[in-house]
Amino acid sequence: MRKLLIILFFTVCALFFKTAFAVISLELTRGISGALPIAIVPFGIEGQTPEQNIPNIVSNDLQNSGRFKVFGASHLNYFPTNVADVKWDYFRGIGTDNVVIGKVQQIGVNRYQVSFQLLDAIKGKNAPNEAIVLNQKYVVQGEELRSLAHHISDVIYQHMTGVRGIFSTRLAYILVKRPAGDKPSYVLEVSDQDGYNPKPLLISTDPIMSPSWSPNGKQIAYVSFENRKSAIYIEDVATGRRHLISESKGINGAPAWSPDGRKLALVLSKTGTPNIYLMDLTTQQLTQLTNDFYINTEPSFAPDGHSIVFTSNRSGNPQIYQLDLATRQATRVTYDGKYNARASFTPDGNHIVVLNQQSGMFNIGTLSLDSGTFRVLTNGGADTESPSMAPNGSMVLFGTYQSGKSVLGMVATDGSVQIRLPARDGDVQDPAWSPFLS
Amino acid sequence: MQLKTLAKAMLVTLSIVAVSACTHTKKNMDSTTSINDANGGGSSQVAGVGDNANYGNENASDSAKAHNKNTYYFDFDRSEVHESDLPYIYAQANYLMAHPNAKIILEGHTDPRGSREYNVGLGERRANAIASILRSKGVNPNQIRILSYGAERPAANGRTEQDFQLDRRSVAVHIQG
Repeated sequence: MRKLLIILFFTVCALFFKTAFAVISLELTRGISGALPIAIVPFGIEGQTPEQNIPNIVSNDLQNSGRFKVFGASHLNYFPTNVADVKWDYFRGIGTDNVVIGKVQQIGVNRYQVSFQLLDAIKGKNAPNEAIVLNQKYVVQGEELRSLAHHISDVIYQHMTGVRGIFSTRLAYILVKRPAGDKPSYVLEVSDQDGYNPKPLLISTDPIMSPSWSPNGKQIAYVSFENRKSAIYIEDVATGRRHLISESKGINGAPAWSPDGRKLALVLSKTGTPNIYLMDLTTQQLTQLTNDFYINTEPSFAPDGHSIVFTSNRSGNPQIYQLDLATRQATRVTYDGKYNARASFTPDGNHIVVLNQQSGMFNIGTLSLDSGTFRVLTNGGADTESPSMAPNGSMVLFGTYQSGKSVLGMVATDGSVQIRLPARDGDVQDPAWSPFLS
Repeated sequence: MQLKTLAKAMLVTLSIVAVSACTHTKKNMDSTTSINDANGGGSSQVAGVGDNANYGNENASDSAKAHNKNTYYFDFDRSEVHESDLPYIYAQANYLMAHPNAKIILEGHTDPRGSREYNVGLGERRANAIASILRSKGVNPNQIRILSYGAERPAANGRTEQDFQLDRRSVAVHIQG
């Protein structure tokens, strides 16, 4: 039944949005423990039924965060839409004190008023008026309903966990199609955090890689191999306008923004081997940060901007090093496993997330920079690549494989939940999670 | 349409190369190598051949061409050249020295495992390893350009160790001469 609904949902989406069909969809692959119970009751509809089912979207968002145990439409057998109609014992009986009810009213052509309440069933049993924990009302156009649903998820998530939600953020990734007997096509796409509304930023017959969001989320730096050479571009997400940043002889790769957005760390091999440089984006001036004959790559800034981590094989195989930008001293930080690469910091700066190989599969792991404790997050069922942190530090986005195709996955940084986003058409790889966008 | 014809020509050429290759190295390895190259590696290699339809053609008059092999293989996370590829690299060197106007792009490739940008670095090391042999044999450095694609253009595009072996390679793409 649920599957049918999902299929139906995609069909409806495809019918209504010719350019906005979903390329990837969420799928839970691992269980949840210690999750917050919450009931999301189907909303009351007045007037025309809108294209987007807000409570379904909110249910999916919260469920996929790994922090909630959601009681949605399929778990409930009655659907109150007013506080006065809520039977508190019913919700307490099925195991949740948190209840979301709401309404969608059509108030014009393609115009809707959406309201929702988060209710506390413990309080509601004694004093129904005190049960309303959150109470919000919005007026939106039909095409804004989906982003409004994500916003509602953010409001509920933040209220109940104390952490800012990531449901209104976006993903950038590379979609590769390899038609038999023809050249492959590479598309740099941006989609909503749940894979909906994919939009192309660059389409090429040559590889595109390493998308990197600017800290304000307005631009993406990436590597393109157009015209048989590598080059770094920065493209404006809204306008699609782009400018060339670097096309030195050899490698131009691994762009990474400084937290203030004024500098770009990048990798150039113009001296013969890949080394890390810092470019002042105002003056285009370059400062060389590493200088040896090994592979030095994948720079990523610490949240305070005072240091970067990067990958180097100077010890014989790839490991992560931290470079103090004031002293230019680099110290090795990873020792677990024979291969550690593509490191990035958690938003609090206390951990790094890495691509790690101990033996066999490549997994996503976290390293505590204080204690040195290393933890493997993914389950080793398939190789992974390109870990990218959610801006609230709750989850890591990564590339992986399923049935011979590249797909995206997400894993909670506490390891509690793992999600797969199956590719619909082609390989989806090399993802980057956007910063908060508002 | 033109690409398709070229791809066919490439297939034929590679089979011929495979036959001659078998006299030098292990039989099984080389025949699978060549077949897979023609099928899976079409996109990047056909593009390379497209600019120089004559090179490696079965009708080519220059005997040096017929003995050439343009793809050289590597071990995981390594950039040491296989001894079995040396005769072909030397033949490449001889060809380039005999044709001073000829130019090649030495592409560097890795298998899809590991980190993408690290693989770009690794692919460059592989291409450089071939380039330094060519230079040591007397090839003019101006005839060689290095271009690492890392893991972005796999030859086999599969997930078996056999696929990975075909992916870990450097390809000499002739662009003129």
